[in-house]
Amino acid sequence: MLLRGCVLRNTEWCFGLVIFAGPDTKLMQNSGRTKFKRTSIDRLMNTLVLWIFGFLVCMGVILAIGNAIWEHEVGTHFQVYLPWDEAVDSAFFSGFLSFWSYIIILNTVVPISLYVRWREGGPSARLRWGPQYPGVPQPDLPLPCSVEVIRLGHSYFINWDKKMFCVKRQTPAEARTTTLNEELGQVEYIFSDKTGTLTQNIMVFNKCSIHGHSYGDMFDLLGHKAELGERPEPIDFSFNPLADNKFVFWDPSLLEAVKTGDPHTHEFFRLLSLCHTVMSEEKDEGELYYKAQSPDEGALVTAARNFGFVFRSRTPKTITVQELGSAITYQLLAILDFNNIRKRMSVIVRNPEGKIRLYCKGADTILLDRLHPSTHELLSATTDHLNEYAGEGLRTLVLAYKDLDEEYYEEWAVRRLQASLAQDSREDRLASVYEEVENDMMLLGATAIEDKLQQGVPETIALLTLANIKIWVLTGDKQETAVNIGYSCKMLTDDMTEVFIVTGHTVLEVREELRKAREKMLDASRTVVNGFPCQEQLSTSKLTSVLEAVAGEYALVINGHSLAHALEADMELEFLETACACKAVICCRVTPLQKAQVVELVKKYKKAVTLAIGDGANDVSMIKTAHIGVGISGQEGIQAVLASDYAFSQFKFLQRLLLVHGRWSYLRMCKFLCYFFYKNFAFTMVHFWFGFFCGFSAQTVYDQYFITLYNIVYTSLPVLAMGVFDQDVPEQRSMEYPKLYEPGQLNLLFNKREFFICIAQGIYTSVLMFFIPYGVFAEATRDDGTQLADYQSFAVTVATSLVIVVSVQIGLDTGYWTAINHFFIWGSLAVYFAILFAMHSNGLFDMFPNQFCFVGNAQNTLAQPAVWLTIVLTTVVCILPVVAFRFLKLSLKPDLSDTVRYTQLVRKKQKAQHRCLRRVGRTGSRRSGYAFSHQEGFGELIMSGKNMRLSSLALSGFTTRSSSSWIESLRRKKSDSAGSPSGTSDKPLKG
Amino acid sequence: MQKTSQSSPSRRPDNTAYKQQQLPACRVQLTASRVLLCFFATGLSCLAMGIVLLLSAKGIQEVEINYTETCADCAALRENADNFDKECSCSIPFNIPQAMQGDVYMFYKLYGFYQNLYQYVLSRSNIQLVGTDVKHTDGCDPFATLNGTPIAPCGAIANSMFNDTIILSYNFNSSEDIKVPMLNQGIAWWTDKYVKFQNPSFNDLPSAFEGTVKPPSWSQPAYELDADTPENNGFTNDAFIVWMRTAAFPTFKKLYRRLHRTQHFTEGLPAGSYSLHITYNFPVTKFHGEKSVVLSTLTWSGGSSLFLGLAYTVTGAVTWLAFFSMMAVYVTMEKRI
Repeated sequence: MLLRGCVLRNTEWCFGLVIFAGPDTKLMQNSGRTKFKRTSIDRLMNTLVLWIFGFLVCMGVILAIGNAIWEHEVGTHFQVYLPWDEAVDSAFFSGFLSFWSYIIILNTVVPISLYVRWREGGPSARLRWGPQYPGVPQPDLPLPCSVEVIRLGHSYFINWDKKMFCVKRQTPAEARTTTLNEELGQVEYIFSDKTGTLTQNIMVFNKCSIHGHSYGDMFDLLGHKAELGERPEPIDFSFNPLADNKFVFWDPSLLEAVKTGDPHTHEFFRLLSLCHTVMSEEKDEGELYYKAQSPDEGALVTAARNFGFVFRSRTPKTITVQELGSAITYQLLAILDFNNIRKRMSVIVRNPEGKIRLYCKGADTILLDRLHPSTHELLSATTDHLNEYAGEGLRTLVLAYKDLDEEYYEEWAVRRLQASLAQDSREDRLASVYEEVENDMMLLGATAIEDKLQQGVPETIALLTLANIKIWVLTGDKQETAVNIGYSCKMLTDDMTEVFIVTGHTVLEVREELRKAREKMLDASRTVVNGFPCQEQLSTSKLTSVLEAVAGEYALVINGHSLAHALEADMELEFLETACACKAVICCRVTPLQKAQVVELVKKYKKAVTLAIGDGANDVSMIKTAHIGVGISGQEGIQAVLASDYAFSQFKFLQRLLLVHGRWSYLRMCKFLCYFFYKNFAFTMVHFWFGFFCGFSAQTVYDQYFITLYNIVYTSLPVLAMGVFDQDVPEQRSMEYPKLYEPGQLNLLFNKREFFICIAQGIYTSVLMFFIPYGVFAEATRDDGTQLADYQSFAVTVATSLVIVVSVQIGLDTGYWTAINHFFIWGSLAVYFAILFAMHSNGLFDMFPNQFCFVGNAQNTLAQPAVWLTIVLTTVVCILPVVAFRFLKLSLKPDLSDTVRYTQLVRKKQKAQHRCLRRVGRTGSRRSGYAFSHQEGFGELIMSGKNMRLSSLALSGFTTRSSSSWIESLRRKKSDSAGSPSGTSDKPLKG
Repeated sequence: MQKTSQSSPSRRPDNTAYKQQQLPACRVQLTASRVLLCFFATGLSCLAMGIVLLLSAKGIQEVEINYTETCADCAALRENADNFDKECSCSIPFNIPQAMQGDVYMFYKLYGFYQNLYQYVLSRSNIQLVGTDVKHTDGCDPFATLNGTPIAPCGAIANSMFNDTIILSYNFNSSEDIKVPMLNQGIAWWTDKYVKFQNPSFNDLPSAFEGTVKPPSWSQPAYELDADTPENNGFTNDAFIVWMRTAAFPTFKKLYRRLHRTQHFTEGLPAGSYSLHITYNFPVTKFHGEKSVVLSTLTWSGGSSLFLGLAYTVTGAVTWLAFFSMMAVYVTMEKRI
């Protein structure tokens, strides 16, 4: 039976039968439920709509009371000219009807039409939209519709972005939902998978140090260290017919050393070609395939192969190596296998001359202690190199050898046999036997392997960190691998004050470890913040406030089993506080469900937007749980992509998605909403003021057609164009100044405060929009003596100034005037006047005298200088305070985007200074990475020869009788060492 | 790779300015110079405009005679609707201290008359008024029909038409009263007179209105509104058209007559004593309204719009104030940097 994550080796094909699939599988059970995702702006909008609705009811009540009073005081006496309806028997009832009429008139402030308009055939003709205007459609406010159009546009921009197109895989970025775009501009936490997302899962032999000489740096022609991007040609391995042409190395001096026959270099590569558990397969002559158990080993053996030490084949007792053209067969005496405690492996071989030699490779911390004292000088040189490599985020291994006497080996082999046959504590005994022989070794050198990150990962992470986005890595990998990757993608740095590692197995241990971590952070901040009151009692509320302001940079690494305890209800808050105080958090050996739980935890307690990014099926639950799920369309199938909201093929595109598209989306959406509320309040509130002058009789200020067309024709397209195209700073700037991202996280551009400012601006505009024409019209007459202050002229004047004012306002709000913006803004104004004159034309009146009773109004009213003076005055008075306010804000309290725009203006021609990410060249803490994705047990397997394919087996004395026993033993060992139910998969599943 | 991208259509997004959000555009920014210049210019033009408007408004001469109190007897009589057929008139002498040069217009001004009530505004039939169907009274409630006969013109607006008669006399040489010649035509919009309001097409007007009754508050039918000029009758009567153009606010003035500049009045109204002879028909005291007569001259921008001039001046002044304070803020900020 092959479980998920199994890798078939040494076979070309097999028959398969899927027997257990569907919703009950572990994978599906782990994937979590799909929820409908909404953005925080959507949720805010719901609240705001309720508030606005409340506001609407308040206005209705005020006007209804006004109507009741008016009818009582004036209306009753006015019945000579306008008797009450039969249904209306008292001022109170009239007020009641007026309430509903006003609710209908003023409902244009509510962005979502929640109720069906009451048209034609109400209980009384008092209600609005009586029989006078039959058939005029009452427009729904197009807010939800416009929001969707804008989001759709943004999604298309994501799909179309060629900078998020992966040439290698021919995949463009894909926005799979159109509802979450603006949330991309508010992300505060990123939860990332490791393998396939941050790393390519490819190991590359990058550098090495041989006998105190470091190889692998790239030099340009002048001998300076070459930077990335200006690489010279890689060295040519064509002399070696067996070379793997995918392998590239840039330092020709190493090849030189091999060719000149430097014994240390030869020994170095000999070790690499002998000391491993790789299986080889030679399909055709010279066409070698290595089946390495961990990619690290594969990389090392491939490196040796290319430098002329080709591992060709092995049998349980021999290893055949083609050394610089000549095949040499070594007798394999023993494999001292790898395990997590030993962190090294050795082989003991006898060369054709009969000399017995032990080759050992392993973690530097372990191996450097076991060297012969005579290698002291070499040791310090190598240590320097190791530090250098580690600083570049490479995984290092130290290589050493030791010559063994024949007699000593014989005697040792006997002891080893005894140990391996021991009944009790066999492992310990073997370990001590191994330890005895791996001593006083001679140092050969060190290798540095690059766990190849996806392109641009460290830069992306650094940029996102600068944008104040916290990145948590949730991986199924082992702790060491995860930490290593943390360093190489610059999440963890050596500048960090401390990296806390939580590995406790019990609740108490985990709690204790978390507590210690917090105390340490508190102690540190206490020394910084002078005289901070000492708290013995770590109360939760105080903790939060203190931990927010922790000084120094910390990181937290937590293990899967500890995480299980940390996520329990009574400890989750402690865990969250600790984790959030840290700059970087790495959770290793976590199950898919735990990934989702971590995301859920942050979602629950932090009012922050979370984003989960992953590529595999094990990330699906996390992707579904987070506010935004991003799928990497990579090698690991498409489950993640299918569950995601956005999909692309490289992690580095995340920075563009967030910092450019997300930021813009958020900015545009906020500007759009602000303007939308502004224009509707400015439009609607005029009715409210007019109510005080028309006996609260629910008379509208505007022509019926204007009300119908205002939102859908006159003002919709300019704001839509702004919502789709607006940019505050060019995209390069948002990458250069990641801090520009912060307003989104802090929710600064559209929140309740901004909403009230928009509303206030709208109401202010409506006041002027009503009272300035009122002031002018109250006394004035036209220039031919006829009445100016007739209702229709007033309606046209107010409507015209409203359209002009909101157009000027959108012009002010638009920061990026494309041809489309020009077209829409000028076009809207033109359309307004065209429609106005058409509606007021004689022709339409002749056809429908009852529908178009504003005949002649436009040309008569708009020919009056007083009307135009009024319109101009209204515009000036409405707009200038806004300009003044913005200008003062710009000069007194400019935000970053203002500053960026300003500086850009100043040095428009100057080339902007790019803030490059420096390559870290300092000494780093050493991280030895020997085969951390490596499992114990393969040495034994090889020595037993049981996994050799019969065709490649020189000895055929093995029967198939015990073919299952090695699998059993391997499986047992795996589960022992991993402490997790499934070992081979680097994404363990926990049931 | 080359081959595949050639054979199958590439999924690479188009490199167009539109799709890459690189459309050529102008980035608008509020720079100090622009804003300050804009404020300065706006302030200047507003101030100038304000002063021009104030000066021209100052040239307007206006006399308003409120006759609600003066004709209190008639008002009391009209409070009772039963006395509609009793004639009542009053005379109001007044003085014009300074000659009113040029065209002089006579307005009636109503206070507290709500011509903008929702139902009032709706209560008319444009189909009837355009002459297509004189019996069309849809939407004229509550003045659509009288005992089953359609009212022409129907509706609350028409019914409440202002029907006082105002005659202005000039006390020439302090002995002889001359009736000031006034024109009652040319006081409505051209579009109203010739498009919006049409009489039914019959040879004689009374037969055109056959089968309809006059509005209940009217003393004579629509075709007898102007006894002197036969063509100024029916729906196309100027005074009627003026009334039908409903006012936006409860206090409004409507043009009643224009001065006919003949005889003594070619230069306008000379200074001296005048009197108004008012036939009081229109009740206003019932709803606490008031009536007055306004005599006024006009300027290029129309009637007396002191508000507009003041508003412009204040706006200009405030804009300049803002300009100077913003300048100060800007200069201090620049210094600090």
